[in-house]
Amino acid sequence: MNLTIIYNLIQGPLVWLSLTVFIAGIAFQTWRLTKMMQTNVNDRRIPEKELIAPKALSKKENFLRKLFFLKLSVLGVNPLVVFISLIFHLCLLITPIFVTAHAVLLEKFFGIGWLSWFSWSPQTTHFTTGIVLACGFFFVVRRVIIRRVRAITTIYDFMMLALALTPFLTGYLAHEGMGDYSSMIAIHILSGELMLILIPFSKFFHMIFFFLSRFTIVNEYSLGAPKRSWQF
Amino acid sequence: MESNTNPTPDKPVIQSILAEHKKQIKIGLTMCAHCSLCAESCFLYMSHEGDPQYMPSYKFLHSVGRLYKKKGDVSRAQLETMRDLVFENCVLCTRCYCPMGIDIPALITLGRRICRSQNLFRNYDR
Ligand code: HEM
Ligand code: HEM
Ligand code: HEM
Ligand code: SF4
Ligand code: SF4
Repeated sequence: MNLTIIYNLIQGPLVWLSLTVFIAGIAFQTWRLTKMMQTNVNDRRIPEKELIAPKALSKKENFLRKLFFLKLSVLGVNPLVVFISLIFHLCLLITPIFVTAHAVLLEKFFGIGWLSWFSWSPQTTHFTTGIVLACGFFFVVRRVIIRRVRAITTIYDFMMLALALTPFLTGYLAHEGMGDYSSMIAIHILSGELMLILIPFSKFFHMIFFFLSRFTIVNEYSLGAPKRSWQF
Repeated sequence: MESNTNPTPDKPVIQSILAEHKKQIKIGLTMCAHCSLCAESCFLYMSHEGDPQYMPSYKFLHSVGRLYKKKGDVSRAQLETMRDLVFENCVLCTRCYCPMGIDIPALITLGRRICRSQNLFRNYDR
């Protein structure tokens, strides 16, 4: 088997394919989910102002109320998980955009040059990549040792976690020259492409659903002024 | 009461209820990150020393979720376990909070509906 053909395939057409599936899939799934909703003007979320007279609360009371609310939210109940989750997701979403090699490849294959102006230094990408891996490790350990998480864990959860972490691990190792560079990069690109393709169709779609459910479905935790409810 | 109990679950009936609510079940199952952040929002979980069987996501994943994955092919004993989850371990107070916005009580209600269709109800005299 000629390896160059495989490399050209996964670096060329497959990148196009995965990016297309990623973007078209997100659009399709968003459309599909939106179609599963009905606009229901009767279920209105009552603005906070109408529930609590603004005058009745002093500045201090208002602040304490907000603090109290925060204490009752997931942030207050599970501060460690929420904090780790936050930096995990931030680094996971931002790092790939600022990897120098990605910008170089984008310029080489698609002629998109401006991205490289913003690229980070290898030290910075290494740092954020390390954060993703460390947080991922935390999630794996949590899944194994915390009883309530284990109770709802399936093999699928570990596979998806592994899939999310593989591009980061292999990108890092390739850059550090550990293992065989070309096979490391091949695994890197293939796992990255698989991840992009699966985002719209797996639990990774929570990336969209998280916001979709908050901004379109009316309930006491929704944001904005949503006027829809699920139609089943 | 004994005459009321079906020894084997009526699969077609379960399947028709599952089919009717397929979209709803699928959204819940696909979007649940299995993160367990809903646990503390349930007062029953809090008052049972953190027994996972009272965690909101556990209650729908191991009832409707399991029925859906097995396409309704479950034994009477398994259905009775699910009955305990959806009737005894949840009061449908709708206070649970899921960061993903999954309607957990709706899914548990569906579990109750399937149980009722198989003559399984809350054990009032337990
Ligand atoms: C889809 C096609 C992709 C291609 C062709 C590709 C290619 C590359 C290449 C060539 C490197 C450089 C390794 C080196 O410095 O020698 C790299 C690094 C990296 N890639 Fe990708 N990549 C892809 C997708 C992804 C995805 C989807 C992610 C993450 C979600 C990702 C995350 C990273 C990270 C974090 C690094 C840097 C690791 C570090 O320097 O510590 N890549 N990638
Ligand atoms: C803006 C986009 C996103 C938001 C708002 C978001 C939000 C969340 C939330 C609320 C959780 C559950 C809490 C937790 O366990 O940390 C979660 C879990 C998770 N997310 Fe995301 N997410 C986003 C994007 C992504 C993407 C793009 C990926 C990967 C491709 C991803 C991978 C994961 C994984 C693997 C978990 C489960 C962690 C575990 O095993 O406990 N997320 N996300
Ligand atoms: C004077 C007698 C009663 C009063 C004042 C009363 C009052 C209430 C109240 C205030 C609720 C809460 C509603 C909610 O939180 O949504 C409730 C719920 C309920 N009551 Fe009663 N109740 C009475 C008699 C009964 C009787 C005799 C039964 C059963 C035979 C019963 C069965 C229920 C049930 C099953 C619920 C829960 C309904 C649900 O959450 O969907 N109640 N009742
Ligand atoms: S909080 Fe939501 S996503 Fe997390 S386990 Fe509970 S139901 Fe699933
Ligand atoms: S509806 Fe059920 S699962 Fe949700 S908080 Fe109430 S008792 Fe717990």
